[in-house]
Amino acid sequence: MVYVLQQLLSASAARYPEKAAVWARGRSISYRELDERSNQLAHLLMQGGVRKGDRVGLFFPKCVESIISMFGVLKAGAAYVPLDPQAPVDRIGYIIGNCGIKVLITQDERRRSLDAATREALEACVVIDEARESGKGTGVVPWPALMEYPASHPPVVTLTETDLAYILYTSGSTGRPKGVMLSHQNALTFVEWCADKFQITHEDRLSNHAPLHFDLSVFDVYNAIEAGATVYLVTEETALFPTTLAKFIETHRISVWYSVPSALVLLLLHGDLKAERLPHLRTVLFAGEVFPMKYLKQLAQLLPAVELDNLYGPTETNVCTYYRVDRERLASMDKLPIGIACENTEVFAVNDKGEIVTRTGESGELYVRGPSVTCGYWGDVEKTRQMVVPNRFQPNFEEKVYRTGDLVTLGEDGNYYFVGRRDSMIKSRGYRIELGEIESALLSHPAVREAVAIAVPDEVVGNRIKAIVAAHNRDAIQSAELQQYCAKRIPKYMIPEIIEFRESLPKTSTGKVDRVGLSQENLPLAV
Amino acid sequence: MGKAAQAANLFDSSVLTFQFHTGDQQQMATEETTIKDQIRQFVCEELAGAKGITVVGDNESLIENGVVDSLGIFRLVTFLEESFGVKIGDEEISAENLRSVDMIEQFVLRKSGR
Repeated sequence: MVYVLQQLLSASAARYPEKAAVWARGRSISYRELDERSNQLAHLLMQGGVRKGDRVGLFFPKCVESIISMFGVLKAGAAYVPLDPQAPVDRIGYIIGNCGIKVLITQDERRRSLDAATREALEACVVIDEARESGKGTGVVPWPALMEYPASHPPVVTLTETDLAYILYTSGSTGRPKGVMLSHQNALTFVEWCADKFQITHEDRLSNHAPLHFDLSVFDVYNAIEAGATVYLVTEETALFPTTLAKFIETHRISVWYSVPSALVLLLLHGDLKAERLPHLRTVLFAGEVFPMKYLKQLAQLLPAVELDNLYGPTETNVCTYYRVDRERLASMDKLPIGIACENTEVFAVNDKGEIVTRTGESGELYVRGPSVTCGYWGDVEKTRQMVVPNRFQPNFEEKVYRTGDLVTLGEDGNYYFVGRRDSMIKSRGYRIELGEIESALLSHPAVREAVAIAVPDEVVGNRIKAIVAAHNRDAIQSAELQQYCAKRIPKYMIPEIIEFRESLPKTSTGKVDRVGLSQENLPLAV
Repeated sequence: MGKAAQAANLFDSSVLTFQFHTGDQQQMATEETTIKDQIRQFVCEELAGAKGITVVGDNESLIENGVVDSLGIFRLVTFLEESFGVKIGDEEISAENLRSVDMIEQFVLRKSGR
């Protein structure tokens, strides 16, 4: 019986020991090696003081060691926290402090880039590259040290499916990122559903396009391992260039692809995609944002034999609904549904009166119930209480449901359709962005009096960000300076591309900043 | 150019925070040094600036340091096409040609037969 994620690896390692499990940057490792190295890393981590329930940070660009680390941490009974290698060190330091990471797996240079307080809080750093001799400090463990530990078996740790497997940090409206806690059960519910729904086999070759701190990667990694397939990690450098990415899919004979729609749109527009060059591609999954219909229709035409599935779900539930694209209906469709609930998951919409939506055409906030739902946000009881609420529609026993904050409509076809957000969270390139987090960063600058961040809709990436700022003294601050200031606090994808200065921000009759008015002023020009 | 670049231009034209490749600069672009200057200026002020990055070495990877993202690449390509009169095919939009200011300059020089 499988109840923790690392069992997926041991089963496949027993079955396909010499088969490639992971490929990255021109290097691959077999199932046996992945199993053995992660056993060794688990022993090393425990020797270094990691205990069941601890959090271990992973802070380096995607490579084979990323996957070894994920399994090594799990085998030590701990939860891993993938940290965005491109995020500002201030944010990384915050996350390390927030969830109490004491052991970090990283590169030597990145370790040095952390502020002194963060470095001091860390008890040990495992460095995956060569630590410079002079830089070796207390608590710095070079990666090759793991070879001294037992490879044949993992340490003995008692776990249950409710133990945490990983924490994924997403944008928080109050100015700081929040850590979504996901258990083994949460992850396995999704992985087992995908294994069944998409019939992943050991002959498949999966891509991993999303960064590892992004929940799309859970499918790529664990479903590949579950099936005894191979996962090919796409690096930033490959992901940036559409023709390079198309060649990657072709060369590695990728059979199952999963990414945000904007990556597929760029491939479609600039990747020189041709069905005959991708004969192995059988399934394309996408999630994270709304796929523009115009481009989805083009993609469906370009890849006539490929199954297309729209997956929907916030990180807190991973995926909770799906829609398999019906090619016959597609031509006449003007909006893509988010579909119906995944098996072992229930979704329902709750209208303004607090009733469950049952009539077609009616809208409400989508609620999610089932074993894929997070138990909450790390160290934030208040936020958890707001979002993961008692299920008052089920009176028999205590149970929680997750309020997605997404407004949906129940369509005549029985599918749900995404309408918008209840709050000011937006998506850009699939990234979740709380406009409030950007505003907090701007407002923390002493020269800024008022600031509002708005989303400017964009056909390819979903939204682009603009800020409107009123400064105490207009001459005292430039937009470039403010962007630099933001870069120390928020990830690059959240920094406003344009900052417009005004004397003051327009207000509504109740004295609040007129977001709606500002957003309407900033609609994109017709393309 | 495709939609991404068009979208990038539309967005930029709505509010101009920086003014680039003015007539004067285009005339000066016949010399190698100024080609590099123009590239450096665009990369630093248009791409790096909006990401809050202040210093970009000529040799530095724009990919690793996060100066370019998926839309930045297409803004860069549009800039090169418009400023230097070169036509860049999708297959040329690659790390080999566009990784750093130095490599972009080399690429532009090759493309324009200089």
